[in-house]
Amino acid sequence: MNEKVMNVGQAIIEGTQDVFSTMLMVELEAGEPIEGHGGEVDSNVTSMLGLGKDIRGMLAVHCPEAVAKDITGTFLGMKVEELDEDVKDAIGEIANMIAGNLKIFFQEHDKDVALAIPTSVVGKSFRTSGMFGAQRVAVPFSMNGATFLVELKYMEVI
Amino acid sequence: MGKNVLLVDDSSTMRKIVGRSLRQAGIEFDNIFEAADGIEALEILEKEKVDIVLSDINMPNMDGISFLREKATRDNMKGIPVLMISTETGDDIIGEAKALGAVGAIKKPFTPDKVNEVLGPLL
Repeated sequence: MNEKVMNVGQAIIEGTQDVFSTMLMVELEAGEPIEGHGGEVDSNVTSMLGLGKDIRGMLAVHCPEAVAKDITGTFLGMKVEELDEDVKDAIGEIANMIAGNLKIFFQEHDKDVALAIPTSVVGKSFRTSGMFGAQRVAVPFSMNGATFLVELKYMEVI
Repeated sequence: MGKNVLLVDDSSTMRKIVGRSLRQAGIEFDNIFEAADGIEALEILEKEKVDIVLSDINMPNMDGISFLREKATRDNMKGIPVLMISTETGDDIIGEAKALGAVGAIKKPFTPDKVNEVLGPLL
């Protein structure tokens, strides 16, 4: 039996900060992890990625328009004017790398996780929903004074 | 004579970042070819002279493992080394990639220094 307690919120913080510091040279400020409901941001770009095997669920990165442009521009080293394919691709890749770090975290707790390919949605009014009965942990991050949210909805397969 | 590299990743962002990391690491190629999946990569390898392939694993249409498996069956491209660049770090997947001929792996996220450390000795 695995005796180690999983601190998923801290894993999201460390995994996200690692991606931003390594690939964007940005030191993110993390808020307090939120378990259960709450903390939603008005997202204009959401990238989602499914998890399978021992941990089933979905990782999502929710960004207001300004943050999505800021992340993409910093990532690619150029000014981003609109929510185009570059933005969808860049936020999707950010979600992919955060999920990769979470996969390592779960492996350290003897949980094998398979990652799907990210999907990005752009719009002004949409919601995402996950599995009924899944646990939810969300962490707000601040980048250049604006907030985006990394959210994990998951269920352990016993 | 200069060297050519093929970058295989379904993310155009990541292909740009890998290309930029190569330049930042001081690794120069005459030509940088790009493919969005294993199928496109095989098509490029049929037509172009490529010295090394840097490939993702999780991709639509044909993933990195299937690409390695198919490449190993083609005599004209068997000898071209492939370095995996992926979020996948599990011993099972990386082990399978190496068994199919991959010469190493770099975990995403990565720094230019890491690319240089792993790729440099292969060139």
